[in-house]
Amino acid sequence: MELDSLREAFDRVVEKRVLSSTKVQEAIDQIVNEVKQVISKMQMMDTDSMDSCDHSSILAELKAKLNEMVTLNQLEGCQKELNVALSKYLKVLEKSFNTDVSKAYRNVDFEDSTVNKIIANHFYRQGLFDLGDSFVHECGESDETYLKLPFQEMYGILEAMKARNLEPALTWAANNHDKLLQNSSMLELKLHSLQFVEILTKGRRDDALQYARTHLVPFASLNKAEIQKLMACLIWVDRLEQSPYAEFVSSTHWEKLAEELIHQFCSLLGQPSDSPLSVTVSAGFQGLPTLLKLTTVMAAKKQEWQTMKQLPVPIDIGPEFQYHSVFVCPVLREQSSDENPPMLMPCGHAVSKQSITKLSKSSSRPFKCPYCPSEAVASQCKQLHF
Amino acid sequence: MEMAIDTPSPSPSVSPAPSAAAGRQTRAAESVRLEHQLVRVPLEALRATARTNHRLAEKEIAAVLSSASSASVAPGESGSAAAVEHLTSLVSRLHGLKRKMEEGARAEELQVQRCRARLDRLAAASAGDDAEWEDIRLKRILVDYMLRMSYYDTATKLAETSGIQDLVDIDVFLDAKRVIDSLRNKEIAPALAWCAENKSRLKKSKSKLEFLLRLQEFVELVKAKNFLQAISYARKYLAPWGSTHMKELQRVTATLVFRSTTNCVSYKVLFEQNQWDFLVDQFKQEFYKLYGMTLEPLLNIYLQAGLTALKTPFCFEGNCPKEDPLSLDGFRKLAEPLPFSKQHHSKLVCHITKELMDTENPPLVLPNGYVYSTKALDEMAKKNGGKITCPRTGEVCNYTELVKAYIS
Repeated sequence: MELDSLREAFDRVVEKRVLSSTKVQEAIDQIVNEVKQVISKMQMMDTDSMDSCDHSSILAELKAKLNEMVTLNQLEGCQKELNVALSKYLKVLEKSFNTDVSKAYRNVDFEDSTVNKIIANHFYRQGLFDLGDSFVHECGESDETYLKLPFQEMYGILEAMKARNLEPALTWAANNHDKLLQNSSMLELKLHSLQFVEILTKGRRDDALQYARTHLVPFASLNKAEIQKLMACLIWVDRLEQSPYAEFVSSTHWEKLAEELIHQFCSLLGQPSDSPLSVTVSAGFQGLPTLLKLTTVMAAKKQEWQTMKQLPVPIDIGPEFQYHSVFVCPVLREQSSDENPPMLMPCGHAVSKQSITKLSKSSSRPFKCPYCPSEAVASQCKQLHF
Repeated sequence: MEMAIDTPSPSPSVSPAPSAAAGRQTRAAESVRLEHQLVRVPLEALRATARTNHRLAEKEIAAVLSSASSASVAPGESGSAAAVEHLTSLVSRLHGLKRKMEEGARAEELQVQRCRARLDRLAAASAGDDAEWEDIRLKRILVDYMLRMSYYDTATKLAETSGIQDLVDIDVFLDAKRVIDSLRNKEIAPALAWCAENKSRLKKSKSKLEFLLRLQEFVELVKAKNFLQAISYARKYLAPWGSTHMKELQRVTATLVFRSTTNCVSYKVLFEQNQWDFLVDQFKQEFYKLYGMTLEPLLNIYLQAGLTALKTPFCFEGNCPKEDPLSLDGFRKLAEPLPFSKQHHSKLVCHITKELMDTENPPLVLPNGYVYSTKALDEMAKKNGGKITCPRTGEVCNYTELVKAYIS
């Protein structure tokens, strides 16, 4: 994008606008001046009690002067220059941007109420509860705001953590002890460790030891190394910052734990940890340029565009949007399926099962790998699961 | 862009990693090119303000000039006093105009400031903080959506709390709101005034909004049984459209015969309440066009594009990962009428780490045929003394038994 040329063209618009505006002000001032002069002249004459023909001649003079000023033409000219600058800027805009991003839009059922529910829940999961409530009130979609309460709980826990209070987080983790373990998450232990270190940094060594006995011991069998480190902290009490265990007291440690809590909290709710609305819109911004080009190419087949079941070309979006493994057989150029799964040849290259059947003439003879010189027989090939 | 099918490239690895950063950059640059509405709307607003100001100045100055030159002095002392009085009134009129011009100039400056703020925003796109850029972008799009849906309060709140007032078009929409509200109250006048303000540009785009408004006004007269008035109204306001919209004109004037109590379907609809909703929609369309906005909310456009890009048959399977928006019902519902995306090349995601398996992090195959990323298996082996447990089947093997897969 040529931002500089945009700025340049816009600067010209601004320049012409200022010019036009000052010209108008000047014209008004000028006329006011002339009229005022005439008024004062006439008032002077009145005191001298002159006759009316002098007045008339003064007025005639004023008329002549005003006509000479040709103000209106000047204003018109300024406005024209402004308009020229504006249209030039518009042309630059047209060159620099996709002027119609709705070209690839499918006119299909896109229910407002579904979109509204998604937005309401987006606000809630971002912790924007006032906005969420206000939105729900305005759109009248009150029955599907299932994320409000759970996320209020989550942000309550996070707020407390910011104030260095771990109690709500610990309560939540204890209540979800089993589910967290199923997720193979060590969050509960990490929270307890942090609490232990907090007590320790306050210099209460006995309390810390007591805390470790009650809360850390249950985790000991699986996390020996971690707990040994924590116990070693006891030696460094009062100067943990200078110990080999300084990481336990750093503020990034807190932030990381908060992030992990968000992740686990969302996971137990069955929700993604990033707002799905943000993810989809970002994917949309990355994917739309390709879709727009595609509609241009397919302009003649507009009907087809509106009804096709699969896009004819891939859309290049970032790897962060890849949620599923897709195997495309390099020989058949088709996506694999349950009937035609990916197979690994002994040389380490992979093709689809159908390709192997073809290459081996229905498993009747050895065949050469399409990618390297090595030979294989169908029975040596192994199905892959991604 | 490459539309042709790529020729097979026998590279023994998954998609080339070195170009990943470059790909990201082109994608970012391409997506900035989509921001036409962001820069266009304030420019149109500036254009409209400048035009109104200019017209006012022109009209007033012309009036003052002609009034000044028509001033004459009647004989006698009272005559000259009257002349002075007349001229004094002109001066105060000019002062009034000047005040208005100053106000107008301030309005223009505000629009200029908005135009600039948006160019600055575009510059921020390449400044590096992607998360911030995307966050603000989503908020802008949400404000756009809410304004179009008439959720003005939330739109304003969101703009204010995120400090993006200069990046959204609340006052442009509030202007339109007046017209929309009046149409919902069955008042035509503000909509007609809006048409008059934008007459030349509506004419250029061959808009028939004014005609539709006039038709409605005519129908209302028929409904109220003011037939004579209706006829003279039709002569004055409908007849000029005859050359281009004869059919509709004939249909509507036929209501004089059928009246509002008719059961004849093609005329009955003309008297129905939803004609007003139709006018609101028509007005919105013209309003969007005039300001260079898309006819659909931006949010819908990007949601559709995003869902199309994300939609694969795998999204609808039971084991769809939660991070995929298409694992959620609302998104699935919206995606239903959209096409599936397409892949020309294999893209493999590690079941354990959810990371892409490429040359940096190649896929490894367990003896049972299950595939995981090197990163995941390395870590597992390190923790468990070289033993690998397949998380999906529970089978155990040694790290040394793993083989590398070359996926192209």
